[in-house]
Amino acid sequence: MRKSALLAMTLVAMLSLSACSGGNNGGNNGEAAESGNAGTNANANAGAGGNAEGDATATNEGAANSEVKGEVTFLTNRTDMIDKEYNDYEKKFEAKYPGVDLKFESIANDYNAQLKVRIASGKYPDVVLIADAIPNADFPKYFAPLDDISFSDELNFKDLKSFEGKSYGVSTGGNTFGIVYNKQAFAKAGIAEVPKTLDEFYEASQKLKDAGIVPFASNFKDKWPLGAWSNDVVSIISGKPDVANMRAETDTPYAQDSTYFQSWSIIREMYAKGFLEKDVNSTNWEQSKKDIATGKFAMYGLGNWVINQVIGAGAKSEDVGFFPFPADNSGTPKAPLGSDYFYAASKDGNTAAAKAFIHWMIEESGYEDFAGFIPTLKNKPSGLAQLAEFKGYNPTFVEAVAGSDKATQIQNEAKIDQEALVQEFVLSKDPIKVIDKANEQWAKARKKIQ
Amino acid sequence: MLGRLNFSTQKKIIIIAFVAIPVLLLLTFAYYPALELVRLSFTNWDGMSPTSDYIGWDNYKEVFSNPEIFGVFKNNFAYFAVGIVQNIVAIYFAVILNGKLRGRNFFRLMLFLPYILNGVAVAYLFSYVFDTTQGSLNFLIGHLGFASDTSWLGNESMINYTLASIGFWRFMGFNMVVYLAALQAIPSDIYEAAAIDGAGGWKSFLHITLPNLYKIIELNLFLTVTGALEVFDLPYIVTKGGPAGASETFVMKIVETAFQFNDYGLASAMSVVLLAFVVVLLSIQRYLLNRGGQD
Repeated sequence: MRKSALLAMTLVAMLSLSACSGGNNGGNNGEAAESGNAGTNANANAGAGGNAEGDATATNEGAANSEVKGEVTFLTNRTDMIDKEYNDYEKKFEAKYPGVDLKFESIANDYNAQLKVRIASGKYPDVVLIADAIPNADFPKYFAPLDDISFSDELNFKDLKSFEGKSYGVSTGGNTFGIVYNKQAFAKAGIAEVPKTLDEFYEASQKLKDAGIVPFASNFKDKWPLGAWSNDVVSIISGKPDVANMRAETDTPYAQDSTYFQSWSIIREMYAKGFLEKDVNSTNWEQSKKDIATGKFAMYGLGNWVINQVIGAGAKSEDVGFFPFPADNSGTPKAPLGSDYFYAASKDGNTAAAKAFIHWMIEESGYEDFAGFIPTLKNKPSGLAQLAEFKGYNPTFVEAVAGSDKATQIQNEAKIDQEALVQEFVLSKDPIKVIDKANEQWAKARKKIQ
Repeated sequence: MLGRLNFSTQKKIIIIAFVAIPVLLLLTFAYYPALELVRLSFTNWDGMSPTSDYIGWDNYKEVFSNPEIFGVFKNNFAYFAVGIVQNIVAIYFAVILNGKLRGRNFFRLMLFLPYILNGVAVAYLFSYVFDTTQGSLNFLIGHLGFASDTSWLGNESMINYTLASIGFWRFMGFNMVVYLAALQAIPSDIYEAAAIDGAGGWKSFLHITLPNLYKIIELNLFLTVTGALEVFDLPYIVTKGGPAGASETFVMKIVETAFQFNDYGLASAMSVVLLAFVVVLLSIQRYLLNRGGQD
């Protein structure tokens, strides 16, 4: 930390203006980019532990309620819910568990880094949120196993935060990727049904274009919205969540027969056919939300988190739809599934009450609907119309797996920024040359890492 | 206690006591980090791990042998070219606004105002101005009857000049104020004497104004060169280095290397190279200008 602070300081001294610009920019796109990442990349670090589901014994709830006592504090990342929704949660939770005093504490910025500091100090709240900052192997040092909470249904991401057969984290909710679209725009272009294959998708785009509507808002210039083409769409095409990890095993991850090439070719095709914004190098994220809301633009290829933002930008909820992206002509809908933060309970805290709280958050709070997440309980229908519609297409979910350090290392060594690579791939006259160069960089870096 | 010492020793003690703190601050916050930067440039530190290995000159070899890294300097050139024009225009306005012009304070203010605006705000503002479909610039051009779909931010050969023109708008006023201050320091009787001898406006500009501005021109060129080499905020916000890396500058590359690819060693080496580059360019500039002055 000390060294990084020094380097940062030196850089700041040299760049003078740059520091504030970096900060501000991060802040501006933060909400979107962050939640986007949570949706697509929220992979845990290591260790697919054993299945712990068998141990869970149903406890007699009535008896348990009175046994749970004392104070329990939840360290949340949702500063915006303090004194609002959380007051309501507290009332409902304490009504169910009269012996418990539920408290909320929030961290506004950089939750992961601050949580690390709190944990290092030895004093941290009973219930915290964990993402990737803490390796799974360290869980037993800090957290209590949560296997004995009896949920009414199977959980998503059950094993992602496990170590040596015990589960230490329960997902707060899931995120997926698909096409968010304006139903009015579709109706205006005469599209009766959402496309089920890639060809139908192109046809629909053509109809939208003919109707004077921009078919697909790529937000090309801002780079981060292009991340989906290297993560989510790749998962959809391959049906496998670990394509990114498997790159570590090859010298040519971006070759012409790779899923990456296939995925990037789709957006290149859309660019060539004029289905993206008029000038992709001059797009505007904030404006695009309004344009989707008013029907000037028809579709986004992003995570479900954007739905609430489009509604916030002025769209009527019933006008906004969400369907799985048909990345091929097979006709079977697929969608990636990634987790947001995980609940974890401090091993030294009030674990009984903490477990009761986690159980309550998953089963009864309705937090996932408020946050716009896919419910953690596998078969629980979402309270959000768009997510219910999405599930109605019966997509096969490709659940995220732990990321591999090695692939990340190679990518960093090769200095490959995949989003910039997508830009180059789409704009270049000769995309083969672009991937050849990337493959060459990759192979060179891979040799160095091994 | 001090009374027993003689005056010059007292003076020394006082001076050392007063200077110690600023020097200490300078050493801690400027020189130590700079030395640390040089040290890091010889390691492969990843930004997190407690240890790092010394890898000799490998990072420097990478900087100079990888065209991906060194090649971006050509994008910085546009800022330098526009910076020269900016200085010429600044001198022009300074001379005009130094004369007896009605409302000259108002014009000075108008030209200087952009400099006060925050750089990030300016960058955001201009990303709206240059927007292809909804930008005010294309709107204006369209109303004048020309083609209104120029992609100011999407044309690879134009993008750096588009961005540099924002820098022009922002810093021209500052350059002008510096020139203006220098102009006001030139005694007016020289001009009167020249006028009596029959020198016209252009001649007195060439033989009185310019020589008197020499040092200041040098200063402004210094600012222009360093500014062009270290530009970061404009492309970072307006284009994110796009389209396809055409507007990526060297400093953006450094930031990306350090904070995205976690290669702090290489990033440090790049910073040191940039530092050396600035020193070399300025030495050349000084040498050329001073030789010109002595002829």
